[in-house]
Amino acid sequence: MQKAQNKLAIMACHSKISKFVYPGPGKPLDIRQVDGQYEVFTLVEKTVKQNLMKILTTETSTVYTESLLAGTIAMALCYIARILRTKTPGLKINSRILTVTGSGDSASQYMNYMNVFFTAQKQNVVIDVCALDQHLSLLQQGCDITNGLYLRIPQIQGLLQYLLWVFLPEPPVRQKLVLPPPVKVDYRAACFCHRELIDVGYVCSVCLSIFCKFSPICTTCHTVFKIPGPLTVKSKKKKIKL
Amino acid sequence: MADDEDPKEYRWETGYEKTWEAIKEDDDGFLEASVAEIIQRAKRKRQQNKQVNSKLGMMRHLYVVLDCSDAMSAQDLKPTRLLCTLKILENFIEEFFDQNPISQMGIIIMHNKRAERICDLGGNFRKYIKTVNGLTKTALIGEPSLQNGLELALKSLKLLPSHASREILVIMGSLTTCDPSDINKTISMLKHEGVRCSVVGLAAEVHVCRQLANETGVDPPPAAVCLESSLIKMGFPHQMIVEGTEEPLTMCMCHVDSTEEGSKLTTGGYYCPQCYSKYCELPVECRSCGLTLVSAPHLARSYHHLFPAASYREIEFDNQSLNCFACQKIFSEADKQVYLCSNCQQYFCLDCDIFVHDILHTCPGCATNPTTFQMFQSQM
Repeated sequence: MQKAQNKLAIMACHSKISKFVYPGPGKPLDIRQVDGQYEVFTLVEKTVKQNLMKILTTETSTVYTESLLAGTIAMALCYIARILRTKTPGLKINSRILTVTGSGDSASQYMNYMNVFFTAQKQNVVIDVCALDQHLSLLQQGCDITNGLYLRIPQIQGLLQYLLWVFLPEPPVRQKLVLPPPVKVDYRAACFCHRELIDVGYVCSVCLSIFCKFSPICTTCHTVFKIPGPLTVKSKKKKIKL
Repeated sequence: MADDEDPKEYRWETGYEKTWEAIKEDDDGFLEASVAEIIQRAKRKRQQNKQVNSKLGMMRHLYVVLDCSDAMSAQDLKPTRLLCTLKILENFIEEFFDQNPISQMGIIIMHNKRAERICDLGGNFRKYIKTVNGLTKTALIGEPSLQNGLELALKSLKLLPSHASREILVIMGSLTTCDPSDINKTISMLKHEGVRCSVVGLAAEVHVCRQLANETGVDPPPAAVCLESSLIKMGFPHQMIVEGTEEPLTMCMCHVDSTEEGSKLTTGGYYCPQCYSKYCELPVECRSCGLTLVSAPHLARSYHHLFPAASYREIEFDNQSLNCFACQKIFSEADKQVYLCSNCQQYFCLDCDIFVHDILHTCPGCATNPTTFQMFQSQM
């Protein structure tokens, strides 16, 4: 709400559903000014409270540990795409997505995450991630791809401070701020056979599927491979630990 | 390419026969609704024709041979042939690396009867765009030499392993070429090596260019047909992270024996998981152990070809859903059709249908559903 023209959409997601919390489905709530507060603030606050309540009370069965974040970001991208389609021509929109999450990111959503990140990159949407609990290596890659910020906050008590200082400024302003230093990105891939992150793997030359062990037939494109000759390793040195 | 001499009209033109008959006025005498419908149908049709095709052969090696001779200063393309070509080439490079993420490209220019290699084969597209931008100031002199350009490209393409596809793209503005010897020998050599040559002529058609393209153009495009397929061992380097310590100052292997800029001691970098040599950019082949080093996103860029999102079914709109699941657009009378995903049973609007299948490649409905988030069309 730095500018009156800025628009906000909030989504909530857990392992079962993803929903828009604001602007919610149906008509906007009837809002009257309370204590001199800006009406839009009141509207956001009331709508978010109401819709979050609905989501939290309807979900009673066991909730798994991981949220389906990739899908939620995909929905957000569709939403942004619609805004871009319907905007007045000539208007420039800087769109970004801030993800605040306490859940992990396992490789099971790998493909969805990657599709989402490359789409965001194409559409010039910045993805920021604020990790509350675990280190999220896939989402970190996403931030790196889309030029967003990744921050695993050291203390949960300071959440509001971090949100205000790190994630609130627009990307053009960020260059001028002293922000937490960029974290080194882990660019390991997940193999198709076991969905584990690997250092060295085998890649099919036809379809680029990744496998952690040599197999004679590609499970993705069914290409039969020739058995490789002895590898041309010049000299085997002992691994140097740095 | 080959059937151009056919007296019949081009195959792709037949789709546009009598298009005016398809346009009908609506009740108020407007054409817009009819035109919009045709566009809609065309978009859908294009999507449905996309087949699940997993044979890609994506490790392409392409040399762009650009004419920088006198002929490129002609102003029939605005502002000049060269500037126009460079602008388009820039888009081409971006698209090329977007679609073929671990492919490599090199640039050769031909001017003053010589060929000059501006960029070696490599995978860093920012570098190429920078180089192409720099070419705007090249002096356009003399005649090009097609043979010299091809020979130079061939010399470096020859050394590539058998699973890589090799291509040359020639952009010619000149109608003549000044060659040191018989160009037919070069052409047959290119054919023998399996290098696929394409020519974009900016002026009139030149016989030797057509012959070059016809002789070497293997149809279908350089996919897995003629190439050996193999599993390639690759490394996925990651930066060393030791909590609390600064990384040591080291030299990267790519700049270790050059004295140019960039050869500096740095802290960050990518380390080969096999021999721990350091590189400052990816993709690269490790100089000490020969392992191909890529980063996972390089590969992941192409996965949507393998696992396309499930296609949606077109359904007459009958208040099945209040709004589009993805973009939250509220369905109204104007939406004649809605689109249903057969995996997750969610309804989408036309715009989202196209966005999902053209760009996103992930169905938002499936991806937010715990039972379907790993489903793709190819597994159905």
